[in-house]
Amino acid sequence: MSSLNASLAIALSGLDAEQGAMAATTNNVANANTPGYSREVPILASSDPVVVDPLTFGTGVTLQSVESIRDPILESRIQQETQTQGQLGSLVSALQQTQVNFTGKTGDIGSAITSFFDSINQLSTNPSDLSLRQGVLTAASNLATAFNSTANNLTAQDQSLDQSVIQSVGQINTLTQQIAQLNGQISDLENVGEDAGSFIDQRTQAIDQLSSLVDVSVIPSDNTLTLTTANGTPLVTGQQSFQLQTQTSASGLHGVYSQGNDITSSIVSGQLGGEIAARDRQIPAIQTQVDTLAAGLANAVNTVQTGGFDLNGNTGADLFTLPPAGGTGAAAGLSVAINNPALIAASSDGTVGSNGNAEAMYALNSQPLISGQSPTDYYSGIVFNVGNATANATAEQNASSLVLQQLNDQRSTISGVSLDEEAANLVQYQQAYSASAQVITAINDMMYAVINMTTLTG
Amino acid sequence: MRVNPNPYPDLLAAVNQTQLQIDIDEQQITTGLSVNVPSDNPAAAAVLVQNADQTSQADQFQRSIGGIQGEIQNADAALNSVTAALQQAISLGVEGANGTVNTSDRAALVTQVQGIQSQLLNLANLSYQGNYVFAGTATQTAPYALDPSSSSGVSYQGNSGTNSVTLGNHFALQTNLPGSQLFSASGNDMFQSIQDLITSLESGTGIGTAVTEVSNSLNYVDGQRVFYGNALNQLTAQQTYLSSETTELAQQQNTVGGADLTTVISNLTNSQTSLQATLEAVGQTARIDLFDYLK
Repeated sequence: MSSLNASLAIALSGLDAEQGAMAATTNNVANANTPGYSREVPILASSDPVVVDPLTFGTGVTLQSVESIRDPILESRIQQETQTQGQLGSLVSALQQTQVNFTGKTGDIGSAITSFFDSINQLSTNPSDLSLRQGVLTAASNLATAFNSTANNLTAQDQSLDQSVIQSVGQINTLTQQIAQLNGQISDLENVGEDAGSFIDQRTQAIDQLSSLVDVSVIPSDNTLTLTTANGTPLVTGQQSFQLQTQTSASGLHGVYSQGNDITSSIVSGQLGGEIAARDRQIPAIQTQVDTLAAGLANAVNTVQTGGFDLNGNTGADLFTLPPAGGTGAAAGLSVAINNPALIAASSDGTVGSNGNAEAMYALNSQPLISGQSPTDYYSGIVFNVGNATANATAEQNASSLVLQQLNDQRSTISGVSLDEEAANLVQYQQAYSASAQVITAINDMMYAVINMTTLTG
Repeated sequence: MRVNPNPYPDLLAAVNQTQLQIDIDEQQITTGLSVNVPSDNPAAAAVLVQNADQTSQADQFQRSIGGIQGEIQNADAALNSVTAALQQAISLGVEGANGTVNTSDRAALVTQVQGIQSQLLNLANLSYQGNYVFAGTATQTAPYALDPSSSSGVSYQGNSGTNSVTLGNHFALQTNLPGSQLFSASGNDMFQSIQDLITSLESGTGIGTAVTEVSNSLNYVDGQRVFYGNALNQLTAQQTYLSSETTELAQQQNTVGGADLTTVISNLTNSQTSLQATLEAVGQTARIDLFDYLK
């Protein structure tokens, strides 16, 4: 048998539930522009009925839970793409700085090589002329300066990338600490059956940020999750975070360490991965090519120079300081070894007017000195490599941006707050609330009638 | 189906993209170049490096030709004077061979031929920009010195060296002939023939033979002079070739690395229109939602 009090309880449950639903909607509206926020949906369910034989009465409504709407697989795709995006971002910005050294403007290595050989051709027309000889020395010195400044710029860039690596590691540590804390808060709430939606959103947001810095694998487990780098180095396990360290390595640059292990080369993704790729691979590869060119050219010029005779009839001495064996550091250390223009060995037979050796030196211009290529061809190859690496990374970055944009759109489609939807929900909950309130008024009237009836008989 | 309730990131990305394209177009218009950094077109950037190298080389070859031309023109002019002087010596010899000439007349002729001899010595010691032109590669030493002990009256101080200068990618030109080949070649020694003419005029015997000898020298030097004429012709031809090469290189540079302004400006206009349209779209999507109607 039912009672007015039971009906009152049912109406009250309606008021409670609609208030709860309203709260969820209000929270959605308030967070409409919060990055990473997933909209919440109140889950209403009818309460268990009471069976009063032979009738079954409903007992109202309960707000079972407030669920955040999100697609975990999509979230993980977004994290992966964010890693790619972070990696390409730092790589592109590094390469764009690198390629400025190879833009073919006056003073770059290519134009300095050309000017050097031009000065030798000029000397060849009048080999005993001291001003033309001085012209060769000046051009040789400009050539050395061009190599020096390009090599120094590349080194400086490597060093500034090294600072970025240290900063990125610092940011990673801050984020993993936050995530470990959030893990704790989430499991505390979930252990007592509460919804941890907003903490999960914060954690997702933190993982997104972490993904832009480093390659992260997310391993979910009950109420918590574990984060590792792609090669399995732990970053966060439950409520514990593992800090990464940086240590100076033999090269003078900083390696990334986890619990004593060097994991530098295993970090391939995220901003840190891009910085390491540029610092340890891309820029050193360009540096090596520049060194090869400097060493090859200097050695060839020296060989010709020492095979000829200077203006005093003596055997020529090296024009350039000897490049280090193996070539490493050749570009940075290149300098002109003589400062007396008379010492240029233009003569092939010791007579002052002979230009035979100047011609031999000029011929180096078109000889396959460096990896089977002439100096200028080899240099144009470097320009191509730098340009190509930059163009490819930029194209990949653009493609990745589009993918990430689409994934975020998709995420927004699923999890984003629609104000239209919330307004409609609000009206719906408001009306249901008003209706429940009306029901209470009606019950009140009925109660009143019952009470008055008693007074009459009593 | 639920739609993406927040279109702003997409619109902003589109605005960014268009703005980027506008920046690129504007840079191309300002610089007139389609390749401003290697990544704009890596293959073209590499070609432009080689193009700049070749263009600079061609300019240098032109400058080198300018330097050499002066020397060769001077050498050619000197040889012209040499042949004129030898011509004059022959006339004097023919005059001396005439039976009516007496000893004192011949002495006067000897003085004149001696004048020619010293003129020839000066010409053979021609110096251009501090270098002796006919000294082989011993360009800092006067190639001929008076030498009474020598039968020709002079001795050669130079060497037999020659220089070649590269003046094109596949073109090198020999720029000098040594005096040993021009004036003192065995069997065609100009100074010997003049000395012989002087001796025969002094003695009054063998003047005819001596004149023939000088005449042979004249023919020989004239023959050698062709070298300089040829060299000058080759230099002129190479100048023409180099200037057409420079033009071709400039064309290549423009084709490979120049901005196609018509296209770029038209692209820029398109981008600007598109930017405007996107911005208007952003403006019009300005949040209107159900809340506005629930009063």
